[in-house]
Parts: sequence; structure tokens; C-alpha cells
Amino acid sequence: MSLNDPGKRGNSGGPPDLDEIWRNVNRRLNELFNRKPPSPGDNNTDSGGGGGGTRPRLPLSGVGILIALVLLVWLASGFYIVDEGRRGVVTRFGKYTETTQPGPRWHLPFPVEAVELVDFSQVKTIEIGYRNSPKNKVDKEALMLTDDENIIDIQFAVQYNIKSAEDYLFNVRKPDLIVAFVAQTAMGEVVGKAKMDFALYEGREQIAKSAEKLMQEMLDRYKTGIYVQKVTLQNVQPPDKVQAAFDDAVKAGQDRERFRNEGQAYANDVVPRARGNASRLMEEANGYKAEVVERAEGDASRFKQILVEYSKAPAVTRERLYLDMMQSVVGSASKVMMDQKTGNNLLYLPLDKLIQQSGPGTAAAGSATTPVETNPSRGGVPSPETPSAADPSRSRDALRSRERGETR
Amino acid sequence: MKLTMPVLALVVAVLLVASQALYTVDQRQYAIRFQLGEIIETQSNAGLYVKVPIMQNIKFYDKRTLVLDNTEPDRMTTSEKKPLLVDFFVMWRIVDVKQYYISVAGDEEAARRRLSQTVRANLAEEINKRTVHDAISGERDKIMSTTRQKADQDAKTIGVEIVDVRLRRVELPPDVTAPVYARMESERRRVANELRSQGQAESEKIRADADRQRTVILADAYRDAQKIKGDGDAKASAIYAQAYGINPEFYSFYRSLEAYKATFRNKSDMMVLDSASEFLKYMRTPSGNPAPKAAK
Repeated sequence: MSLNDPGKRGNSGGPPDLDEIWRNVNRRLNELFNRKPPSPGDNNTDSGGGGGGTRPRLPLSGVGILIALVLLVWLASGFYIVDEGRRGVVTRFGKYTETTQPGPRWHLPFPVEAVELVDFSQVKTIEIGYRNSPKNKVDKEALMLTDDENIIDIQFAVQYNIKSAEDYLFNVRKPDLIVAFVAQTAMGEVVGKAKMDFALYEGREQIAKSAEKLMQEMLDRYKTGIYVQKVTLQNVQPPDKVQAAFDDAVKAGQDRERFRNEGQAYANDVVPRARGNASRLMEEANGYKAEVVERAEGDASRFKQILVEYSKAPAVTRERLYLDMMQSVVGSASKVMMDQKTGNNLLYLPLDKLIQQSGPGTAAAGSATTPVETNPSRGGVPSPETPSAADPSRSRDALRSRERGETR
Repeated sequence: MKLTMPVLALVVAVLLVASQALYTVDQRQYAIRFQLGEIIETQSNAGLYVKVPIMQNIKFYDKRTLVLDNTEPDRMTTSEKKPLLVDFFVMWRIVDVKQYYISVAGDEEAARRRLSQTVRANLAEEINKRTVHDAISGERDKIMSTTRQKADQDAKTIGVEIVDVRLRRVELPPDVTAPVYARMESERRRVANELRSQGQAESEKIRADADRQRTVILADAYRDAQKIKGDGDAKASAIYAQAYGINPEFYSFYRSLEAYKATFRNKSDMMVLDSASEFLKYMRTPSGNPAPKAAK
């Protein structure tokens, strides 16, 4: 690029130096007169030489002064200022000569040289698929076909600046329009080669990058002197008409998560509870074991202790134990005593009635014993406890429990 | 003073002649010099040039690359007889200005019309050979480059180079987008249903697994518990056996007594006692002998 030319950069740096500018003026004038074809050159040397020559010889001549003034004004018209962020592109008789950096500059006045100022570093933006705000869609630009023949809605902006002022000016007509066209074709191509899901979700970054690269290639091929800084995707989405279905698919993804979590919640509820139950079973089993063993030991110990005493006096102990048992057994039960000796072979013992009577009350108690009393002289041995089974419900309960005990 | 007037007059005269005889060609332009309507010379380099005043005149043409945009998308048909709306633009520039002037009389509008027709025809032909898919993605580059080459051949006859042909937009006409949307929708529905049923399946799987774990845990625990209980029972048995084995006869007696006690605990238990029983022997006689029996 001519901007980086060392000679010209020297020219641009530093404060405006009038001496240097004057030298520059001289250099250019000389350059011009030495180089130019003879016919216009003759013309100019005449006027220039006349002006320069007459001044020292005729300092008082009014015409001379006039000519000198006109000449000065003409020369002064060549001054121009290049603002920061701009470049001046100088043409001599229409032909490009140089690009000037910001600062006060001078070119040969009209009609020899002309300057055009170009906004150099200003970043321009074009918007494709929308205007001003992504909400303000332009469907005609935004809808694009993907590789799998789906349609997506894509809105993007391109930021660019000028990297070569002379290329920008001289090589293409309407460069800014071309940027817009190139942006569309590049994006169309990139999206056309991508699958819809890729373009919509994971591939956004990559699509912007590819489009940026493709745009730059094309703009360089056309020598537009434009540099694409960035392609930013504002919005990539399914078209409005099918948006609902896409939203539902996204929701479905969340539903899947929800179902999964619900299942997990169930599992988290059931499994620990089962573990709890399991440990309860174990504890109970341990408890049972301890109980059984301890009881066994207790029983065994008791037996052994008695056995010791028993072996010291077997007959007595045996008798005592027997009687103890009989006492407790007979003492607690209702009883009927019979005397076999009566020889009454047909003994009628209405047990069921007895049981019934033992229930109803004390009054029946006396009569209950009488029929059994086959030998009145000896008399029954009515248990004092029998009538005490006064409460009918209790006795019935007891009866029932006995029956149950039997069936068991 | 006498000298100055003629000098001034001369200067003015020279400037006048110069303004008629000199012309500049801009960096962006071609120039054609005509002499009485006949082309004498063309200039493609910028700079200052001389002509004969009055006799000769100059026309300028653009040297830059120009862009040609078709205003409305064209409806083209693919190989599977599907319509496509194709919007393109063409980058072109004049390379042979003389030829250009002769062919289209230097009329840019005419040139544009001509190029537009050529490119459109070639493009339609290329698209016609291909499927929608190829036109959109697969062979987009090829369509563009082939069209460019073909159009360039033709453009040469009017002194123009086709720098590039680009498909700006390729889209489906509005009347055929409805099925596409319907397909997209059904596809999404498929995806959504798949996701949901996947979720349910996974949920069910997790639940079933949890149930299995529960059953297994409980069964394991039951097994272990039974083992422990059995262990306890066995130990207890061993203890009993060890203790009672010392005197089995006495054990039998002792244990029977225990059992009798345990069974006849209730008051409603009815006992029918024979007076001849051992227990009542003193009830019969104080001596305890079965005297009456002996008497009998």
C-alpha cells in the first residue's frame, strides 16, 4: 500500500512546517515543468516565468503586482486539510498520484491536481434481514434455504471500513451497494451448505466466520479496498410460521428432563426407604437371636441349678416339684372330682353344661356341682374359685381362647 | 504599459485555446476521441491529452467494475421441475471500449439489458440441469462459475468482461413454501415426541430399577435376618441340649411339669379328677395307702 511508503509517512508526521510545504511546492512545480508534454509546458513556463521574471525587474509595475497576486491566490487554492480518520486521494490530470495522511496539505491547484477526501477509518454498518432493530424484519432478505431444504430466518449485520482509499475510489462503482450484495450472497452460500440444526444452534459462530471470510475474498477479488471487520448474527431462528413447533420441541427437551427427574425422585424415595426397612429387619433378627439365646441360657442355667439340688435328694425333690406343679395347676383350674369306687359305670358328666354354668354366675355354681356329686356323703370339693368366674364375658373370652388353643 | 496589454491578451488567448485543445482522462474513465464521428483513438490511461478543437470530440466511459442487479428474482425450474426464485448480481466492466461503443453505442442501459439477458439465460440453463439441493448448496459455486464463463464469452462481443456472477438469493416461491413449513413442523413434532417418550422411557426405567433395588434389598435383608434368627435358634438349641443332656430323665420330668403349669393356667380349664389319682391319695386316707382298695 502506498500509505506505508516511507517517504510519504515522513511527509505526514510532525507539525505543519511552512518551509517544508514551500519546498514541496517548489519540488512539485519543477517536477511538473520538467515532465509535462511540451505544449502545455510551454504555456505554463510562459506565465510562470513571466511572473517570476518580472518581479525582480519591474517591482513597481502595477500589472506585475496584479499578476503576482493572481498567481499567489491560485497557488493558495491548492491548500487543503485532511481531517483525522480521512485520507486525501490526489489525482494529477485525472491520474492517481498519491494518498495523503491527515494534516494540512497542498496540491497543485486546479486544473492540474485535484483531491478527493475519503472517510477512511469510519466503520460502516449494513444490516441484512432487518432495518434499525431486529424486530423490524425484512422477510425478503431474512429467509434463507438450508442444505436440508428447510427455511431459516437469519438477520445479520456487517461492519466494514476502507483499507485502501484509492481502490475504494477508483476500482468499483457503488462499493457500498456491492458490500450489501456480497454479504447476501456469502451468507446465502454459507447457510445453503449448512444443515438447519447446525445453523440454528451450534454453528452460529462458525457461520458468521465463514461468511466473513467469503465476503473478504470476494471484495478483494473485486479490488474494492474494503475490509470486513465483522459479521455479527443478530438473530437466527426458525420462520415465524413454524416457530411454535420449534418452541414445542425445545419444551419437549425440558419435559424429558422433567420426566427423568421425576423418575429419579421416585427412586430416591423408594430405595432409601427399602434400605431402612432392611435394616429394621436385620435389627429385629438380631434382637430375636439375642432373645432366644439369652432365654436358652437362662433356662439352661435354671435347669442346671435345679438339677444340682435334685441330684442331692432326688426322691424328695421330685415329690416336691410334682406337688408344686399340681397345686398350681389344680389350684387355678375348675375341677370336678369323681370317686371311681362308687362303681357307677354310667357316669354322666355334662361337661358342656358345666362350662356354660360356670359362666352365668355364682347362683349356678352350687347346682353345677350337684349332679356330678354321685356320692353326696362324701360331697364334692367345690372349688372356691369356680363361682368367682362371675363376669360372663370374661369366662366366655376365656372359653374362646381355650378353644383356640386347642385348635392350634 | 504598452507591453502589458498584449501580454495579457496573449495569455487569455493561450488559455482559451488550451481549454479547447486539452482534456484530462480520469482514473475511473476510458476516453474515445472522435473526429467528425469517426473513432480515432481510445485512451485507457488517465492523464492529460490533446485534441484538435472543434474538429474532434471526446466521450468518456466508466472503467470501474460495475454491478448489475436484476430487480426482481427470476423464476427458474430445476431438473425435478420444481420452481426456484433466483436473484443474482453480475460484476462487469468494460475492457474494450471501442468494441463497447460499436456494439451498444456506448449506452450503458443497453449493455445492462444485454448482459442481464445473457446471464439470466445461462443461469436458467444451469439451474435446469440441477436439483434444488444442488442449486442451493452442492453445486452453487459451479453454477456461478459456469454461468460466468458462458456469459463472459458472449460479453466479449460487446467489449465487456464478466468479472463475476453471484447468486444473491435462491429461494422457494411463496406458493411452494407451505409444504416446506408443514414438513418442518412435522419434523419438529417428531423430535418433540421422541424427546418426550424418551423422557418417559427413562423415567420408567429409573422407577423400575428403583423397584428392583427395593425388592432385592428387602430380600437380601430377609435372607440375612433369617440366617441370624436361625443362628440364634441353633445356638439356643445347643445350649438347651447341652444343659438338658446332663440328665434327660429329669429333664423330661421337669419339663413336663413346666408344660402342665403352662397349659392349665386358666380358671375356665376344667379338670376331672379321679379320686384314685396319686395327687389325691391323702385325700382318701391319711396314710396315703389305697386302703379301700385293699379292703375291697
